[in-house]
Amino acid sequence: MKKYLAKRILFSIFSLLVVVMTVMLLVYTLINRNVIFQQDDTWNKKASNERTIYEYNKYQDYGYLVYENYSNYLRKQYQEKLGDDYQNDPQFKEDLKVIQDPATFQENEYVKGFLKEYAAKGYTVKYLKPDTSKSGKVRKGGQAFLIAVHEKNPVTRLWSYAANFFNIDTTNKVKDETLTDRYVRFEKDPYSGLFAIVGSGTLHKYLLYFDGRFPFIHQNFIKINLGTSYTRYRNQEITTVINTPTGDMITKRQQYPNMLGTDEYADTAIDFHSLTYNYGEVSPVEAKQFPDKYTVYSFLRSGFTMIENSFVIGIIATIIAYLLGLPLGITMARHKDGIIDKLGNAYIIFIMAVPSLAYIFMFSALGTSLFGLPYKFANAQVKILAYILPVISLALPSIGGLMKWMRRYMIDQMNSDYVKFARAEGLSEKEIFNIHISRNAFIYLVHGIPGSILGCLTGAIITERVYGVPGVGNLLTEAINQHDNGIIVAMTVFYTTLSIISIILGDLLLAKYDPRISLNADKGGGR
Amino acid sequence: MNENVNTSVNQDDLFHFIDTDTIQSEKIIAPRYSYWRSVFRVFFRKKTNIVLIAFFLLIILSAYLLPMIWPYDPMEFVTNAPSFNLNPTKAMQFHNSHSLKWLLGSGPTGNSIFYGVFASSRISITLAVVCATINMIIGIILGAIWGYSKKFDAFMLVIYNIVANVPYILLISVLVYIIGSGFWPFVFALTVTGWLGIAYFFRTQVMIIRDREYSLASRCLGTPVLRVINKNILPFLTSVIVTILATELPSYISMEVFLSFIGVGLSASVPSLGRMIQQAQSAFLIYPWEFWPPVAVASAITIILYLLGQNLADATDPRTHM
Repeated sequence: MKKYLAKRILFSIFSLLVVVMTVMLLVYTLINRNVIFQQDDTWNKKASNERTIYEYNKYQDYGYLVYENYSNYLRKQYQEKLGDDYQNDPQFKEDLKVIQDPATFQENEYVKGFLKEYAAKGYTVKYLKPDTSKSGKVRKGGQAFLIAVHEKNPVTRLWSYAANFFNIDTTNKVKDETLTDRYVRFEKDPYSGLFAIVGSGTLHKYLLYFDGRFPFIHQNFIKINLGTSYTRYRNQEITTVINTPTGDMITKRQQYPNMLGTDEYADTAIDFHSLTYNYGEVSPVEAKQFPDKYTVYSFLRSGFTMIENSFVIGIIATIIAYLLGLPLGITMARHKDGIIDKLGNAYIIFIMAVPSLAYIFMFSALGTSLFGLPYKFANAQVKILAYILPVISLALPSIGGLMKWMRRYMIDQMNSDYVKFARAEGLSEKEIFNIHISRNAFIYLVHGIPGSILGCLTGAIITERVYGVPGVGNLLTEAINQHDNGIIVAMTVFYTTLSIISIILGDLLLAKYDPRISLNADKGGGR
Repeated sequence: MNENVNTSVNQDDLFHFIDTDTIQSEKIIAPRYSYWRSVFRVFFRKKTNIVLIAFFLLIILSAYLLPMIWPYDPMEFVTNAPSFNLNPTKAMQFHNSHSLKWLLGSGPTGNSIFYGVFASSRISITLAVVCATINMIIGIILGAIWGYSKKFDAFMLVIYNIVANVPYILLISVLVYIIGSGFWPFVFALTVTGWLGIAYFFRTQVMIIRDREYSLASRCLGTPVLRVINKNILPFLTSVIVTILATELPSYISMEVFLSFIGVGLSASVPSLGRMIQQAQSAFLIYPWEFWPPVAVASAITIILYLLGQNLADATDPRTHM
């Protein structure tokens, strides 16, 4: 059994890698990159070399390549040498201008340094010649540029993605020589009143802490990193995006770390458990508030996170579907060709045949006009009411599906020998149907249970769109519309992992529910 | 009088001896059975099927013929902003005509909803038929080989396990995103892996029949593989094929509606039901006449196709021919 599982999991990881690789190949190499400029006004206004530079900047933003401009390089060099006043240095201005002359620019010391450094890094250096008209005048935006470009290749892209997938926080995480005191230890947590594991030299200050949010205990030792969003949520990590509450900020009377132990309080929405290391300069204000360089924070927010929103709606709908669908299917089979069966069949045909979009809109129109239920999630006065319509919209099709299969399998089982035997023994019809047949018919449905539970995490595309639920269901389609390759890859990994796990769990549950089924190829009946 | 005539007949004229015929005695008299005739007999025995077919023909004819009489151009009044989003009465007043064109009002570009519904359902039906045909042909041929050959089975299972792990919506969205959203690119996106599910389902069915006793006996007697597939397996699976078709055909119409709704559907230049629904959905409470007609037509087409398919599948099952 263990061997079988290990084999399954290994194969799953392999197929996950193949899937991610394929999607990366598709989105990064096969799509025409220029589509991102289709509705870009800035791009339209720019011309000549400036436009090319703008394109490279954008390609870098969208994660296609890494790129460095000579002028940036020069600024950094001078800043190191002269400090912040380098802008006015006459030598700097001259060095900046040198590339405008295609004949002599390569003799400059800094240009040589630039060429050498980036050639060693494996970049391709490109020189954009000054774009001049026949009279020798430089056209608008036609000044020369010297840039180094590095296209990411698919294998290294996949490798770096896989290598950064698990983010493990250790005391050596922060690369800063000035930080000498590195530790991980238990401390009393002034914000929760309980204890916390606090680190120094780690990326997060609080590695394990308690607070009032579900699931009440949180850790930062291992974080899954699905990648970074490029456009939709500018440069935010996708794991953070889907795990950040979507409600308003909560301002509380709290103490900054430096106020602890005094009577001073401040009204702030900062979540002090979220502090991470600040690689940049600590501002004077921050230096007064924080004792160390852990000054990067996020805010306390109310409401559910995106993933919680999707999951809550999904799981309630799934539970309702199983509680209603299975008994209805059993009743339909028991009164086959009766009035209940006919009505049920009509419902099933309606749900199966009509596009889901159509009946979701139908229910939303009915719910809002007849019962006055809130239509859009955002403008609901009572938040609980806003969940009713999405839950109904999700539950109705699942009920139809479960009814259909339960009825089918019940009818298939109805002529089995054990049913005849039970009748011969004098068991009541109710007992035969509700206990004996339904148990055997349910075997076929057990496999789908983990899938329907885990599937709640991926959200529902149409329902969330129609009701404006801030959930994960829409992330993928939004990302596609905004060419956000980071989210596309992240969602592929997320969806694929969930579907693989559900299939494996489904098999295990099936083997558990029906002992006759053996997953091991050596044992049991299979060939 | 009559009784007298009857009684007066000689008994010898009524009966006569015949010789035993060895050739005749070998023949078994059974009613003539033709598979397809029985299928249609069973199918048309249900009166609802005739009504359904009538509706189906009506929709097909109006979808394919009416746009020829009433050419639909969504951009006809695009420069005339006051003609946008008018309800039926206002549209008739605005255009000062009581023609059928404005029976359902006007849409977001001043287009006629009534004409649009027919032109759009033509595209949607064509798409469904083309996609279903391609997927069914590839899926059934490969599924039959997949189920019959054990070597091919091992190879295909690996591919299936990898591809089936990718959510279908994700794959289609990414493909449409890459190759564009014209009619044929869209068909490609729907069919590039769409056949795999059909093939997998069909493979399991073929495997079940493959190992039945009569099939085994046939093979032992040295029947060639193709003949076994053709004569032993495929006839048994006709009803399975029709059942797949019954769910496949309407599913592409729903799929197109869904994909258009999430923004990865057919491009704006191809009028489709999904496109119309998508354009109208944001304001469906304010301009209900733009939203409900395409929804109703899409639902009607899918329900009719589904019911017809299911009933035909029932009729193709030889067990119902008794």
